[in-house]
Amino acid sequence: MRCEEARQLFDAYLDGELSKSLATELAAHRVRCPACRRALALLEVSGQIIASDREPVTLDEDFSGRLLACVEAPERRWPLRVRRTLFYAGPLAAAAVIALAFLGVFDRGNGAQPHEVAGHKETREVPVYVPGEESTGDSGVNSPDETAAAEYALEQWMKQAQQNSEAKRQSVESLHKALDLTIGQWLDILEEAKDASASEEHFPGADTPLEVDGNETDPIDIPVDPVD
Amino acid sequence: MNENASGADRQQEAQLIARAREGDRVALRELVDLHKDRLFAFIWRMTRNHHDAEDICQEAFLKAFASLGTFSTKYRFSTWLFTIGYRVCLNGLRRKRNVTGELDVSALSLAGENGASQSLESEEAGQLKQKVWEAVDRLSIPQRAAVLLFYRHELSCQEIARVLEFPVATVKSHLHRGRGRLREMLESLNEEDLHQFRSLSG
Ligand SMILES: [Zn+2]
Repeated sequence: MRCEEARQLFDAYLDGELSKSLATELAAHRVRCPACRRALALLEVSGQIIASDREPVTLDEDFSGRLLACVEAPERRWPLRVRRTLFYAGPLAAAAVIALAFLGVFDRGNGAQPHEVAGHKETREVPVYVPGEESTGDSGVNSPDETAAAEYALEQWMKQAQQNSEAKRQSVESLHKALDLTIGQWLDILEEAKDASASEEHFPGADTPLEVDGNETDPIDIPVDPVD
Repeated sequence: MNENASGADRQQEAQLIARAREGDRVALRELVDLHKDRLFAFIWRMTRNHHDAEDICQEAFLKAFASLGTFSTKYRFSTWLFTIGYRVCLNGLRRKRNVTGELDVSALSLAGENGASQSLESEEAGQLKQKVWEAVDRLSIPQRAAVLLFYRHELSCQEIARVLEFPVATVKSHLHRGRGRLREMLESLNEEDLHQFRSLSG
């Protein structure tokens, strides 16, 4: 067996998918070839180290307790609180929440790009809420133009929602869905709302999947294949 | 994620989920306690930030609980939870990566965290470990996820495919390319280091 052939078998060997006869061939080559022996040793040692990772990092002791408190009292965690507000108080509360989002209240200083609202979508760098992320310099304060754009989008949407009770229902539904995702994705929804407000019958986003980078869906909607 | 989970384990899990769906606090707590450490270990290695990892785990559990009604006990809860966790994690990592899809490793405090912290371990083995983990940190996100899930969490390529939502062939390609990059990055090691570690780890 030549080195080239041996190296092509490395991954199958490490995946545990090499037939016994080929494994023997590879072992024979390994015995007499220092270069392949070394390459394989590096791969094996990496796998061993990763497999035996016992880095002493652990969750805070009260993680479970805090988590269950969130389950029982969602108002302790703002996304859930907001969701409840939406659910019970309807579209006007939703509008208020969205307005707050635009004004940067929920922006943790990670540079949500309100100018997307004004229709600039050349970057798909959707502002995503990153827990605990340090400020990157962009403040959450929007320029007057950006705020005006946000207000305009909001106003259009509210007008539309008020005109049509079906639209209202769908608005709440879609916002409810949006709140499961990220602030950045709300901004997209509102942008769509603004664009479509003149012609559409209802709040866009209610019947279209929310997308990031082309094809992202909410994780909780992801079907998981059956276990073999 | 237990490859060897017995039928009895699966049945027990199904009962636990059924209780959790009813809002049984004890069952919910049990689910959290059963899965939190593994999920956290994975997410922490992906984010390398304790606070972020904890928040991501919390969000993953909350999302999972909120949609327990749609979860089918034909599947492993842990695979489903990892799938959700990876999704949440990806949202966070997207904010941090540069255009090539890499983590900004310069932002990580590598020294100390991956160092030779185990007292029984030789300095050489400690250094080797550190080099390996530094190399892992430099893998692309899907490569790192595939490598961690394969080695650390002992998932099959089929299970990894479910978590990452890639076809199995794509998972293998990430795993293989990840390995190849690890090897390249470790090429600077000398024979003695390798020999040292291999004799240590038996
Ligand atoms: Zn060779």
